Amino acid sequence: MSKKSKIGSIFFYIIATLIALAMLVPLLWMVSTSFKTKGALMALPIQWIPKKPTLDSFKDLFATEGFNGSIGNSLFVAVISVVLTLLSSSLAAFAFAKIKFVGREFVFLLFLASMMIPSQVLFIPLYLIMSEIHLTDTLSSLIVPGLFRAFAVFMLRQKMKTIPNEYMDAAAIDGATLGRTFFQVILPMCKGTLATLAIILFMDAWNDYLLPLVMLQSRAKFTLPIILNSMNGQYNTQYNLLMAGALVSMIPILILYAFAQKYFKSGLQVGGIKG
Amino acid sequence: MKLNRKILSCLLAAAISLSVLTAGCSSTTTQETTSKAPDATTAATTTAASSETTSGTTAAKEQVTLKMEEFSSSGGNEDTLAAMIAAFEIQYPYIKVDLQTFGYADYFTQLQTKVSGGNASDIFELNYENFVAYASAGALYNLKDMIASTGTDLSGFYPTALKAFQFNGDQYAIPDSFSNVVLIYNKDLFDKAGVAYPTDDWTWDDITVAGKAIRALGDDIYGFERTIQFTEFYKACAQNGGSLISADGKTFTIDTPENIKALTGMIDWVNGSNIMPTEAQLSGMSNWDLFESGRLGMIVNGTWSFTPFAETCDFNWDISVEPGNTQKATHFFSNAYAISSECKHPEEALLLSQFLAGSKEATTLRVAASWELPPVSYDDVISAYLKQDKPSNRQAVYDSLEYLITPPVVKQNSELQDIITSYLDLAITGSLSVEDALAQCQAECVTKITLG
Amino acid sequence: MKRRKMKTGILTAFPYLFPSLLGMAVFSILPIVASLFISLTDWGGMTRVSIFHGFFAFVRENYIGFKNYLSIFQDGEIRTVLGHNAYFLVLYMPIMLAMSLLVASIISKDRKVIGVYRVIYYIPVLTSWVAGALIWRWVLSSEYGPINGILEIIGIKGPAWLQSEVWAMPAIVLASVWKDMGFYGMIFLGGLHNINPEYYEAAKIDGANSWQTFRKITLPLLSPTTFYIIMLSVIGAFQIFPQIMIMTRNAGPNGATQVMVERIYTYAFSYGEMGYAAAYSWIFFAIIFAVTIFQNIMQRKWVHYE
Repeated sequence: MSKKSKIGSIFFYIIATLIALAMLVPLLWMVSTSFKTKGALMALPIQWIPKKPTLDSFKDLFATEGFNGSIGNSLFVAVISVVLTLLSSSLAAFAFAKIKFVGREFVFLLFLASMMIPSQVLFIPLYLIMSEIHLTDTLSSLIVPGLFRAFAVFMLRQKMKTIPNEYMDAAAIDGATLGRTFFQVILPMCKGTLATLAIILFMDAWNDYLLPLVMLQSRAKFTLPIILNSMNGQYNTQYNLLMAGALVSMIPILILYAFAQKYFKSGLQVGGIKG
Repeated sequence: MKLNRKILSCLLAAAISLSVLTAGCSSTTTQETTSKAPDATTAATTTAASSETTSGTTAAKEQVTLKMEEFSSSGGNEDTLAAMIAAFEIQYPYIKVDLQTFGYADYFTQLQTKVSGGNASDIFELNYENFVAYASAGALYNLKDMIASTGTDLSGFYPTALKAFQFNGDQYAIPDSFSNVVLIYNKDLFDKAGVAYPTDDWTWDDITVAGKAIRALGDDIYGFERTIQFTEFYKACAQNGGSLISADGKTFTIDTPENIKALTGMIDWVNGSNIMPTEAQLSGMSNWDLFESGRLGMIVNGTWSFTPFAETCDFNWDISVEPGNTQKATHFFSNAYAISSECKHPEEALLLSQFLAGSKEATTLRVAASWELPPVSYDDVISAYLKQDKPSNRQAVYDSLEYLITPPVVKQNSELQDIITSYLDLAITGSLSVEDALAQCQAECVTKITLG
Repeated sequence: MKRRKMKTGILTAFPYLFPSLLGMAVFSILPIVASLFISLTDWGGMTRVSIFHGFFAFVRENYIGFKNYLSIFQDGEIRTVLGHNAYFLVLYMPIMLAMSLLVASIISKDRKVIGVYRVIYYIPVLTSWVAGALIWRWVLSSEYGPINGILEIIGIKGPAWLQSEVWAMPAIVLASVWKDMGFYGMIFLGGLHNINPEYYEAAKIDGANSWQTFRKITLPLLSPTTFYIIMLSVIGAFQIFPQIMIMTRNAGPNGATQVMVERIYTYAFSYGEMGYAAAYSWIFFAIIFAVTIFQNIMQRKWVHYE
């Protein structure tokens, strides 16, 4: 019996490692390119480990005008919009999960329907609207759309539905208002979902590129992806600089993810509940 | 009681959400006030304002800030443009320039959005491809009268450059640079293959002969490269005596014998003698990368490649005028500064455009940085350019001007380019014969694109 | 009595819904409705327009009725393009389901070292497509990339992926699977966690081996999760965009990777035909909506609940 399970175990780890390697290979390329000199980029045969590794790309990166500021901008936008989204989505999710009202299913369907619309399609009307409310060229224009994220509402609603109503009743008996019940009873029980959502939302805001491109006009306000993409000159792409930038860009997210690991242990809860 | 509470919480929620929405407003209003403050001058304070002007200028000018956006300096020339602007601001202290530079890929997406929202910068850069679209949509300021009334002197500009940015006969943008395309060759590879260097009277046959010799040097060494898409194609047609659109601009003339000859010739370089790599052989590498790695004998490319090649290539190289077939034809590309039709300070904007485009200070800076070519014909500026090295035969750049052709420009430029390039691809891969490809291309263009 | 009053009523629910509803109205509904009107015009996208002042006058000025919609249907391009999206879906879905389920079962094991795998599998999800697509352009390079390099070791001559009409879309599928696997794996993990361990114990007692357990217990109990993943990936398949734009210039060799969102973007920003692009968008919404409703109906039939 144990021999079988040992073989099974080895087999298991082989597969797991093969998959991990497949995931990593493109990323290893990115790391390797960011340490290459311009000439080494096109050398044949391909150098997996650069013969003359250099930190030049990183130096040039931080010397690029607006780069350091853009990190701050991206950070600001990501953090504030995540907080905003978590707040507004959990409130809405609570209403969908725990409050019966006329038209609840219909409104929820509307939320779902909006998830199907790709953002590129709404661009120009969205820009026109932002322009009218004087939000263009402000970081707020990137944060405020965070008020509405159907995906987050969906996930939180699923989670809240698993919380037995007995908790609500108990709080009511203790004399708590609905609001207090929400903040002090229900919300803390959703910590896991909130954490995993925070990572996903942060990543979306951090990597978002089309919306900032259209909304922001002053270089001082640019976010990281825009600065990185401006290295795509008309005729010439500085790959080593871009990869260095992409690497730097990934670090905050990786740190966040590493910290939030324990919440990801049980995966992203979405299914299992009717409707 | 409970009902009041609920209504109160509704109002509270509404208030919080709305305050978040309007958070942006307060920051922008402070922005606006700080940039407006210098603007605000009453007649009574003219004497105070005049203290800012140098002794050279006469009347007191109110402080003006111009918003400008462009793309051509991205990827390495930002410092040169900054120096030009600094020189301008010294000469005109009452004008401040607020500059935004974007990468080329993103530039037009965000420009179009801004224009539609009425937030276009005072000055924005355009290339010849997009010029007609913006001019015909009324997004640009008609410069004709202003040029006349302010006595702006455009006599130093190349007429072809000026003409490229005229619409319905009026000037709508000031060309800020031009570039053309030459034949760039790797001298070391030529030496290795024992072939004489290209001269200005080479033809396509000479390319084929030299290309074959260099190709024979190795499996991953190629003789020649010339990207087969729209931009190279219309030039190739001209080099065989044909064109894509009739001279009066009213009809398409795509499937003519001259054009068929041009395309057949180019495809033969790829599929026949293979002195040009196929897409598969390039497999993701750009033609620049191939040349810079020393594995390409000749490349037809633009003057904007000189600085990057000078920095990266560790072999000897030089240029010559691009060979034609039955006749010579060379490219002419130009970018220009256009003024928004909603600009509040058009005269200052014109001053800035003209300075950056054609003043001695700006053009000297441009030439020193090898940042494309100034669209003016000052002898001393040109000779400074010619004296530079890498490449040494810079005279070829100016000789090419004799044979230049401007691209066919229509309002639906992008669409036309995409259609033609897609049929070129079909011909290269052999899915269609050259004759069929051009015939079907003609048919599709006639249906989808309106001319004249 | 108190309880019932607290949990019902629109007035109660409203303050909780308000922020999201406000956001939805301003940033979702308003733009969509505006784009509906724009689709009835021949607006090029470069002339000045305002949504709040004089919008209807502007629409009236440039009104062309349903001409945009008619030309889209007559042209036939949309059928090819939808075909490409469908082709992507058909390739992507089975590979994605299999791989992410595999990943989920790997990271569901409660051993310390699994934590490393959990991080590695999720890293591609955390990268942006701007970097990821550029990297994959090189990975897929037929002369210089590792994929063909590995194939060569096995003795297969790999194709010129992104330059080949046949292999361009599969290449995009490959890159997309790489990027999304970790994410869907996490969702499957959530589903796996929800399965009551008592079922497994019962199966063990009954003497079932792991394959039988998998087929008869795990899979059926995973069906709500599976359905959710299918729904998300179908929507995702129709929305693919950044990888197409960056990996294939001009939407692929002979337009092999032209997809819905790419077409909309091209008409809007490259060809300067905003009205046409808006009409395209609306047809696009209608299709996705129909597909989602269809999926919902299928859900009732195929999904097992406890």
